[in-house]
Amino acid sequence: MILTALASGSQHGYGIITDVQEISDGRVRLRPGTLYTALDRLCADELIRVDREEIVEGRLRRYYRLTPAGTKRLSAEAARLQADATAALTRLNLAGGMAT
Amino acid sequence: MTDHANLERGYRRLLASYPRAFRREHGEEILAVLMASAQEGQRRRGLAASADLIRSGLWMRLRPSLPRSAPTVRAAVRLMYAGAVVTALSLIVAIVSLPYVGRSGATLRLAGRSQPLPLAITVGIVSGVVMIALWLWMARAISRGRNWARLLSTVLVGLATLHLFGNKGAVPVVFAVLMWLVGLAVVWLLWRPTSRAFFKPQGLTQVGHGA
Repeated sequence: MILTALASGSQHGYGIITDVQEISDGRVRLRPGTLYTALDRLCADELIRVDREEIVEGRLRRYYRLTPAGTKRLSAEAARLQADATAALTRLNLAGGMAT
Repeated sequence: MTDHANLERGYRRLLASYPRAFRREHGEEILAVLMASAQEGQRRRGLAASADLIRSGLWMRLRPSLPRSAPTVRAAVRLMYAGAVVTALSLIVAIVSLPYVGRSGATLRLAGRSQPLPLAITVGIVSGVVMIALWLWMARAISRGRNWARLLSTVLVGLATLHLFGNKGAVPVVFAVLMWLVGLAVVWLLWRPTSRAFFKPQGLTQVGHGA
């Protein structure tokens, strides 16, 4: 979900939190501790990297963005989810069709 | 304004649960997010955010910082932490089931006893604590790519094989066998070809991404 938040461009930590909340329709509220554990892991796996840093109102903002490997991983994951969803819908339709 | 400063100080204190290197790199950044997430006029740290911070910080300290290219080493390190937990459990069970520590409770009474503990029990407790420390020490050293730790943990599992026959009673034997099996799995994982690649290059690049 963090990768999805970064799909349309670079974001800083707080931006990712609000974006993930928006994408998930309010279901997922990332806490800062969890977020930075995940970001560290994603950086280590070279799926994301630091884009730039800014100081806003005396506070550090570090922007992250997807690496090519991250983009590839996200699209593979999205394709897999889509295939799962399609399979589920097809079978449901089939079952529905048989029931009527 | 002072509320703001107090809140910041409170969160800053919690950041101490993170390893120093991580704090230096990300501390200010996390703090900025915490402060941005704080509600207007909030004076005290959020309970959920605080718990999450402590949990993440401790996880950062304990977790194996290993690349995905070494899945067997990652699995081995996780198993070693599991081994430490099993050892701790066996120690707790052993202490609680000591014959003269009353059923109502109390390991506390044990500490408060005026007479010294029988030597065998003291030795048992100390060796349990040493074993937990060994699991954790080996897990940390191995996750940093130390080849000596791989050799030493293999020797330790060998010694644990001998220890298997020294236990009496069903529960200690079950725990000893369980720990031995965990140790055996760890050794097997550590000597797999994928692990060998992780331990081979003696240099800075092997734990590449730790920072």
